Amino acid sequence: MRETRLWSLHILVIPIIAVLLGAHFALMHYAPVFYGVSVEEARNFETMIERGKSVAQLVLYILLLAAGLYHGLYGMRGILRELPLTPALAKLVDWGILLFGLFIFALGTYVTWWTFSFKAGG
Amino acid sequence: MNSNKPTAYNNRLGLKGWVYAGRYTFERYLYLGHRLSGMGLIAYMVLHIIETANRMRGVEAWQGLMALFASWPFKIIEYLLFAAAVFHAMNGVRLLLTELGFFLGKPKEPVYPYSSSVMRHRPLTFVIMGLAALIIILGGSSLFFP
Repeated sequence: MRETRLWSLHILVIPIIAVLLGAHFALMHYAPVFYGVSVEEARNFETMIERGKSVAQLVLYILLLAAGLYHGLYGMRGILRELPLTPALAKLVDWGILLFGLFIFALGTYVTWWTFSFKAGG
Repeated sequence: MNSNKPTAYNNRLGLKGWVYAGRYTFERYLYLGHRLSGMGLIAYMVLHIIETANRMRGVEAWQGLMALFASWPFKIIEYLLFAAAVFHAMNGVRLLLTELGFFLGKPKEPVYPYSSSVMRHRPLTFVIMGLAALIIILGGSSLFFP
């Protein structure tokens, strides 16, 4: 049952990733096509900080971070668990991936929060 | 089941089996592509999170990094990333449709010559992969010739 729940969650986060990653691509990589501004302008420090001050952006980026990391690391776990591992090694893979995911999620969240609370000259 | 148990015959191919173990179908290579693109995307995502943390080092550090990303080698990497994301997403749609039982045909008596669900599903596979190719080509034109 636990594995079914983990698998279902990995499927359920797909729409979140599709919408938010699509928006991220449009904004950061295809800005001239979708927003009529150059890529350099879209990635400019001031523009990036300005965008990052929006609550919606803060929430959506953290959501994308969580959904993307979960989906990707769950897939990675599946690949690693296919290897002929001993039960102890399989447990190590599970814990290692969980801790790594939490660390990267914490880092990404911190950076997003830093941008949100950035004060010029402060 | 413990897969470490010794078996009477040694038929374990390991990683080599991902690529070839006899006659693989088109779908089997899509499965391989799905795995490889997925691993590439998660590796990139982790690096991307670490790299964007660079903004905390200030304007100069950020602008320097962005200037590097505007160079041609990085534009090509960016395009490969886009292509991997599109392929992974489109093939994921195909896998989800299969998982939910769409486009597999109705179950029926197995009468010779047997028709396989893979073959019944194949037109959809070609349509989805055609769409993925189209998006990848269009994405390339927008990225390199804005």
